[in-house]
Parts: sequence; C-alpha cells; structure tokens
Amino acid sequence: MSDSPFVVIDGLHFSRGDKDIFRGVSLNIPRGKITAIMGPSGTGKTTLLKLIGGQLTPDAGRVEIDGQRVHALSRKVLFRLRRRMGMLFQSGALFSDLSVFENVAFPLRVHTDLPEAMVRDLVLMKLEAVGLRGARELMPSELSGGMTRRVALARALALDPELILYDEPFVGQDPISMGVLVQLIKRVNEALGLTAVVVSHDIKETLSIADYVYVIADGQVMAHGTPATLDVDQDPRVSQFVHGEADGPVPFHYPAPDFRHDMLGAGGSR
Amino acid sequence: MIRHIAGLGRRGCELLEAMGRAGLFLAQSAVGVPSREGFYLWLRQMHFVGVLSLAIVMVSGLFIGMVLALQGYTILVDFGAEQALGQMVALSLLRELSPVVAALLFAGRAGSALTAEIGLMKATEQLSSMEMIGVDPLRRVVAPRLWAGFVALPLLTVGFSVVGIYGGYLVGVEWLGVFDGSYWGNMQSSVDFIGDVGNGMVKSLVFALVVTWIAVFQGYDLIPTSEGISRATTRTVVYSSLAVLGLDFVLTAVMFGGLS
Repeated sequence: MSDSPFVVIDGLHFSRGDKDIFRGVSLNIPRGKITAIMGPSGTGKTTLLKLIGGQLTPDAGRVEIDGQRVHALSRKVLFRLRRRMGMLFQSGALFSDLSVFENVAFPLRVHTDLPEAMVRDLVLMKLEAVGLRGARELMPSELSGGMTRRVALARALALDPELILYDEPFVGQDPISMGVLVQLIKRVNEALGLTAVVVSHDIKETLSIADYVYVIADGQVMAHGTPATLDVDQDPRVSQFVHGEADGPVPFHYPAPDFRHDMLGAGGSR
Repeated sequence: MIRHIAGLGRRGCELLEAMGRAGLFLAQSAVGVPSREGFYLWLRQMHFVGVLSLAIVMVSGLFIGMVLALQGYTILVDFGAEQALGQMVALSLLRELSPVVAALLFAGRAGSALTAEIGLMKATEQLSSMEMIGVDPLRRVVAPRLWAGFVALPLLTVGFSVVGIYGGYLVGVEWLGVFDGSYWGNMQSSVDFIGDVGNGMVKSLVFALVVTWIAVFQGYDLIPTSEGISRATTRTVVYSSLAVLGLDFVLTAVMFGGLS
C-alpha cells in the first residue's frame, strides 16, 4: 500500500466555457516525494491543483487521493479529507482580519480541542520553522510578499498534512526569498516525509528540488521524468520550455494576421 | 429573429440556474447545527450589521415620523380631524413605512458591505484557502452573516417605528398643538397588535431574509475582480430594493387587500 501513488489522476477532462483546459491528463503523484507540475502560463496548472483539492469538478476522469475518489465524496467527507492536505496559495491568502499568529493558529483552533498553551507552542514551532517567530504580532498587510508566503506555508503545515500543494511558490519573489522558499520546501519535505506537489514555471528552482516532473501543455501531459532525463529530452517542445528559449514550437506571437497587412491596410479599425 | 428568441431562452436558462444556485446556497449555509463558536461569530456580525446600522435607521425613522405628522396635520386639519394624527402616523409606520424604509436603508448600509466583504474574501482567495483548510466557508463566513441580517433587520424595524412615532409626537403635539391625550388615545384604540404590528413584523422578516440572502449570495457568486465586486455591490442594492418594493405590494395585497 505504501508504494502505491498518493494521488492518482486518470483521464482528466476539464473545460471552461468553450475552452478545453485538460484533454485526458493522467498522472501519478508518488508518496513522500516532491512532484513538480510544470508548463507555460495559462496551461491550467492552478486549475489542476483545484481539481485535486476538489474545489472544481472535472467533466470526465477521476482524481483519487489515498484511494478515495475526490469527486464522489459528500461535502462533509471532502472537508474531512482536506484536513489531511495543505495548500500554499500564490497570493498566500492569509485571513486579512487575523494576525500572523492567529492565521497559523486558525486550523488548530477549528479542528482540534487543544488547550491554549499547546496551540501557542505549536504555532511558535511552525513560525520558527519558517523563520518568522518574531513577526507573530504583525497583521498580513504589514508583511512583504515573501513573508506572506512563508506565513501561509506555516499555516498550511499547522495540522501536519500528508499532502501539500504549492501553487507557484516562487512567482514574484526576490532572489533571497526565492532561495529561502526553495530551501524551506525541500527541508519540510525531508523532515516530515510528506507528499508534495509543486506547480511552477520557474524551471531552475523547481528542477533543483523536484524528484519527478510532469510537463503539461495543450491540455495534455507532454513529457514526464526525473529532472535529469527532462534536461536531455529531445522533443523540441520540451527542450524549448526546459531551456527557456523565446521562440520555437511554442510561438512567441499570439496568433495574429500578417503584420504588414495589419500596418498598411484597414485604416481606422483597430 | 431566431437569434433573439434563442438569446431569450439562454438568458431564461441562466436565470433559472442562478436561482437554483442561490437556493442551494441558502439551504447549505442557513441550515445546520448551531455551535458555541458559531454563536460568537453571529454575535460579531450582529454588531456589524445591526448595531452599526442603528444610527442611520433611527435618524431616518425620526425624520420620517416628523414629516408624516407635518403632512398629515395639514390635510387632517382641513376636516377638523387632527385628533386622528396619532393613528395615522402609527398605522403608516407600522404597516408600511418602517418595514420598507428600514429594509431599503439596511440594503444600502449593511447589504452592500456584506457583498463587498465576502467578495473581497473571494477575490483574495481567502474563501478558497478556508475550504482547503477543511472549513466550510458557507458555515463559517456566510451563515453568521445570514442569520445576523435575519435577526437584525426586524429589530431595527421596531426601533424605526418607535422613533418614528415619537417624531410624530414631537411635531404633532409639541409643535402643532394636537392634544396629546388624543394622539396616544386614538393610536391605542385603532392599532391592532396582530393585524398591524404583527403583519408589519412578518413583512420585515421576509424583507430581512430576502435582502440578506441577496447580499451574501451576490458576494459569494461574483466574478473575483475589482469590476466584479463593484458590479455585485451595485446589484445587491438594486435587486434588494426592487425585491423589497415588489414583495411589499404582494404582502400588502395579501394582508390588507382582502385577498387572503
């Protein structure tokens, strides 16, 4: 049982309006490892996390977490399952009316009956782990972007989840906070042995910590493998993405009519 | 032509779908086992939507009572019937003006704030993150606000009526010189507790449910952008005002129109 994947996604189809986001995505997330899901912006990586967390419902296909079909669960059981997951949102999504301390304490207060002294100890331990024990009295509006994300990480870890989902953890971070976050994700995973899914398009940072990588584009899994195998992948689309080339099979230009025709013709229209 | 009919049908389907969503939303958030924590959350919302709306509702009530007495007096005095001022003020307020005006003010003061607050929580992913922590935002965020609105508006309506009647007294008796015995005496003999006060309260309960429901649903269901929030806030005020006025006619027809 412990060798079976923690999350299984099979034949997932999902569309928004007329736009197909996923057309038959299948992937396995192994237990106790960091799995990265990468792909260009707009391929629906965040949507995939929301599908795993049961916040969105797929048109077809299934998502299983530890053997439970997420979208077949009742609302109550789904919320119970979510206590075993943590999610780090891109914006941090801290509760703006609560202090840093109360944000981290929130999951403990609503899901456990621990005495106040123990809640305090646990919160301080989590904040110490992300290096922000001294910032506990601050409000979310007083934090920098990197600090917000670290507090959100402490909150996501408050209930010691088995699965943690990171949504673009490195976006918009300065080099120092980026380095801090990379180290934190790696260390947390090693120390707690939890299963992690990192959704990102920051190639260097993600490949440095991931055990296994899926590359998604055009609604399908384009490639998967360990970081080392992807680095030497011959597929031009994979190679363009992994090596960050501006033009290639994925065009630099959004589809548009001929440039010369556009500049010279059809005066007056935009 | 066919396209217009198809568009009409599509809008009809969308409307029905939205109403279905709103119904499910109400059922999932309002019905549940009360907890001690839920009580504290409710209490905090009572302060926000109830206590903080007191000032605007009370001041409006006072002025409406005063205007009512002034207008009523100028008409009644022509017939030598100014002694009936008390019952006129009381009946207008209890049956009609208090429930309706309090609900309209409530929609503007508290309803729009509820929509904006919930909408901003949605836009900043706070509702999503709450879901992922395993806490149902319908129970934790929406339910206390829904119940607070449902309880607060009828109480505000009572306050509106009391202050309004006092405003009528100030103008009618203290200023225009109507005999205070007939102001209170005629009021006492003509106001029926069940028929007038009771029906007014039923109206107020219906308005409270509708206004708060619209406000929290608009907040929860909006498109999470700054434009989406501003549109939803406007919709809350427009929809709840129209719903209050429309329902007021229906309820008045049923209660006082001899249709029941």
